[in-house]
Amino acid sequence: MPQNRRLILAHLWVAFSVFVLAAALGVWQMWVRSPLAAPQDTPARYYQSVTGHGVSMAYVLTTFFIMGFGYFTAETALKTPLPSARWAWAGFWTALAGVAMTVAAILSGQASVLYTFYPPMTATPWFYVGLVLVVVGSWIWVAVMLVAMARFKRANPGAPVPLAMYATVANAIMWLWTTAGVSAEILFQILPAVFGWTQTIDVGLSRTLFSWTLHAIVYFWLFPAYIAFYTMAPRAAGGRLYSDTMGRLSFVLFLLYSLPVGMHHLFMDPEHSTGFKFIQMSLTALVSIPTLLTVFTISASMELAGRLRGGKGLFGWIKALPWERPMVLATGLAFFMLWFGGGGGLINMSYGMNAMVHNTAWVTAHFHLIFGGTVVIMYFAIAYEIWPSLTGRAPLSVATQRLQLWLWAIGMMVMTLPWHYLGLQGQWRRVASFNYADPRIGPWGPLVIVSLAGGVLLLVSAVMFVMNLLPRRAQVRLPEQGYSFALAVHPPQRVPAALNGFTVWNVLVAILMLVAYGFPILQFFIGNSPQAVIHPLTGG
Amino acid sequence: MTEQPTGGRERDRWGFAAAMVVAGVLLFSVVMGLIVLPVLQAPNAGIDPWTAICRAVGLKAGSPAQPQPPVSATAAPVSQVRWTPATLKILAAADPRPGAALAQAVCSACHGEAGLSPSTDFPHLSGQSGAAIYKQLSDFRSGARFNAQMTPVAKKLTDEQLAQIAAYYGSFSRRAAALGPRYGIGDAAISRLANRGDPARALPPCESCHARGVGGPPEAPVLSGQQREYLYRQLRAFAGGQRGNDVYRRMRDVSSHLSDDEMHRLAEFYQGLS
Amino acid sequence: MSEADERAIVRSEIRWAVVAIAAVSVIMLAVIFAAIAMHINPPSNVERINPQDLHLSAEFTEANLGTKVEANGQITARIVATQFAFVPRCVVLPADRPVTLRFSSPDVIHGLLVSGTNVNTMVVPGYVSQVHTVLRKTGDLLMPCHEYCGLGHSEMSGTIRVVPSAQFRPGPDGRVACAAK
Repeated sequence: MPQNRRLILAHLWVAFSVFVLAAALGVWQMWVRSPLAAPQDTPARYYQSVTGHGVSMAYVLTTFFIMGFGYFTAETALKTPLPSARWAWAGFWTALAGVAMTVAAILSGQASVLYTFYPPMTATPWFYVGLVLVVVGSWIWVAVMLVAMARFKRANPGAPVPLAMYATVANAIMWLWTTAGVSAEILFQILPAVFGWTQTIDVGLSRTLFSWTLHAIVYFWLFPAYIAFYTMAPRAAGGRLYSDTMGRLSFVLFLLYSLPVGMHHLFMDPEHSTGFKFIQMSLTALVSIPTLLTVFTISASMELAGRLRGGKGLFGWIKALPWERPMVLATGLAFFMLWFGGGGGLINMSYGMNAMVHNTAWVTAHFHLIFGGTVVIMYFAIAYEIWPSLTGRAPLSVATQRLQLWLWAIGMMVMTLPWHYLGLQGQWRRVASFNYADPRIGPWGPLVIVSLAGGVLLLVSAVMFVMNLLPRRAQVRLPEQGYSFALAVHPPQRVPAALNGFTVWNVLVAILMLVAYGFPILQFFIGNSPQAVIHPLTGG
Repeated sequence: MTEQPTGGRERDRWGFAAAMVVAGVLLFSVVMGLIVLPVLQAPNAGIDPWTAICRAVGLKAGSPAQPQPPVSATAAPVSQVRWTPATLKILAAADPRPGAALAQAVCSACHGEAGLSPSTDFPHLSGQSGAAIYKQLSDFRSGARFNAQMTPVAKKLTDEQLAQIAAYYGSFSRRAAALGPRYGIGDAAISRLANRGDPARALPPCESCHARGVGGPPEAPVLSGQQREYLYRQLRAFAGGQRGNDVYRRMRDVSSHLSDDEMHRLAEFYQGLS
Repeated sequence: MSEADERAIVRSEIRWAVVAIAAVSVIMLAVIFAAIAMHINPPSNVERINPQDLHLSAEFTEANLGTKVEANGQITARIVATQFAFVPRCVVLPADRPVTLRFSSPDVIHGLLVSGTNVNTMVVPGYVSQVHTVLRKTGDLLMPCHEYCGLGHSEMSGTIRVVPSAQFRPGPDGRVACAAK
């Protein structure tokens, strides 16, 4: 049983409450964009809402969930209390203060710059300062994770760090690398401008620095899902993990290849050359390899479980799996959506085809499928899985959990399939309204309404999720129980040092980043790099 | 295999393998992206391989696969005002006190005490954005905008004086200007046009530029409380081509898509807006 | 677990890794083929231009925008993306001939696509974005701004009017503009 239950629960509740509000905003945004008349449909409100939705989902839900889950993993996998609960709480309050500041800035209408900022448009300083505090809070979490692993290794020389913890620390280290880009953008470019010390921003540089963060942050969000695939799902299915080494290798590959690829968000940008775009594209191609390895390893683990349960034949093991268990069901649904999302991603990645889909609804569909379909559905499953050991109470019945997961998956498919199609038709992004009277746009209307219906299902599912977790009167208290992660078929007695630490990988990340981003960043410091005058969007 | 702390040899083996794979991938990407592709694409662009490589690296402008078009153009700009850090600094540093004296001497006869014009012939300046006043005075001075009364006045002033006058009028609250008679209250269709725009005509909302703090063009004036007669005249002048100092046709474009009736009602709406 | 089982696991892992690498290689080869045989590159001009001076620059002053047939026969359209319109709003181009589109922004980040074509680029203040294409479909194509550029972003949209090559007749100065409809 984890020691710092209140700490972990505080993180998770911040994440989940913000998540429900953000889901509601998302539905309203789709309503505004649809041919149906929506209330409050001014662009000012719309972009305020998009900013709130993006910041909540991308920065608050994820960061708080990952921090809370990281503390849980450290205590349960290492079977020792955190090295410093006080620092962990300090991180929590720092990040929470940041959230409060950012939310206040968005509510005041002085920060409608969306979660990707769009300099030279600028928001009130509180918006950025709040986000910096969230990042600082997460850095404290990184430090706690690093110290926890170091202490474990000192206390258990030669013993392998448990896979769940190894993965968590891989994520923490990757997060340090990841945040370097956006932190540099905010600290050296945006804050000096919003405080009035400079009047201009080098937009090429700011886009490049943000791209440094933009892909790796997605893997930061994705890590808990993969940790669940490797260390929770096999046990829930009644089997074991097929290969511990494959797991470690996948996590290390994520650390390595999710960073030097961010420029694939800038394929259509004029400030970078084809050569460096090619380099980052071919590194992007490699990111799909750990994903494919995961698909293989987890499928094999599931097959193992299915056969242990008496499944026979080529597909019989699938039927034999215990689909009534939420963790197994969520894994299955997540994999299903990962096929679509990952397939879409391969198309985005090849820079020729990218021109067909860049900034269309296709991309929105792609990242909602990956984020909502693979990441968030596993956050649900993890919460259900660890809730008894955190609260001493089971979530509401397993049947409602399953219903909630099914609603989420169906809603996600109903929402994103029309988006994919409309994206290929050229429906573009980030607009508050479409001119459905135009015969070239009119036929999109019904599909937009279908996707809105998907959004409503998602909102219902989000509310159900929180209801399932809420404490209830007359609830049976479970006996105190710990939590154990899935074991490998062949639990490692020892693993190669390279797969038990991160030194080698950090050096390789540094080399990759130097090649991929060295000149592309350096070029902004050669000659007169153009500067754009800021456009403050700070309200009246 | 012995049960002992994992040793240096194994770390070497894994580290070496990983380093080799990374090096191989990097080598492939660099050679292919920076050398092979541009050299093979160069003939289509009609350039030598070295130029193509420079373009692929980003040392020279242009695509390694396509010819750069020639640039042969000279045309007169519609306004000489540049929003550079230097201009913005002049505006930010301008002292409103000499501006007040100048305004008293030069502007107040027409634009009224404190910029509240007594006549429908002249716009209110009270609470107007400093950047907007500066832009228009500069354009009167350079000839980009012509007005028989304003042009000679502006020609006598220095850049710094323009900024001081702009700072003086900008220092008032806009509320005072909005105390005049109210029209257009409750005109839902026009309120919608001002706040939502009209996608069918690709008309952006007026409010996406003409309110404070909306991140639009720096020179966009605040419209709330302005004289309806002045607003209507300007919309007509933009639509009819008599006024053309709006950079990149922003207002000529918008006004050419408005009906005469809409111009009237928008002018009334904005006079009544506080 | 026996030694043989362990070896079987390693073998299947390696098999799968080979499949994964092969799948990725096929995609890379397709991209390389398109780059060499079809000259397909993403728009990447790395061509600097000062956004504060854009309306004073020779190339992107208002009167120089739109379609022009250059002295060497190359067809170029120059378009400014600004809050919240494309200038000019309508651009004429011939079908089935190579054309070059050049964009720049004086203010904030914009972006655009032309529906039903492979024209898609970001327009970043400080740079000229250049797209090379051959338009196959005639008619009025949508050219919306697809990047958030402020509160008027949703209404920012232009038109690419593709006419049959025979109907594309430049004036004596090489310029062609949309006729009023």
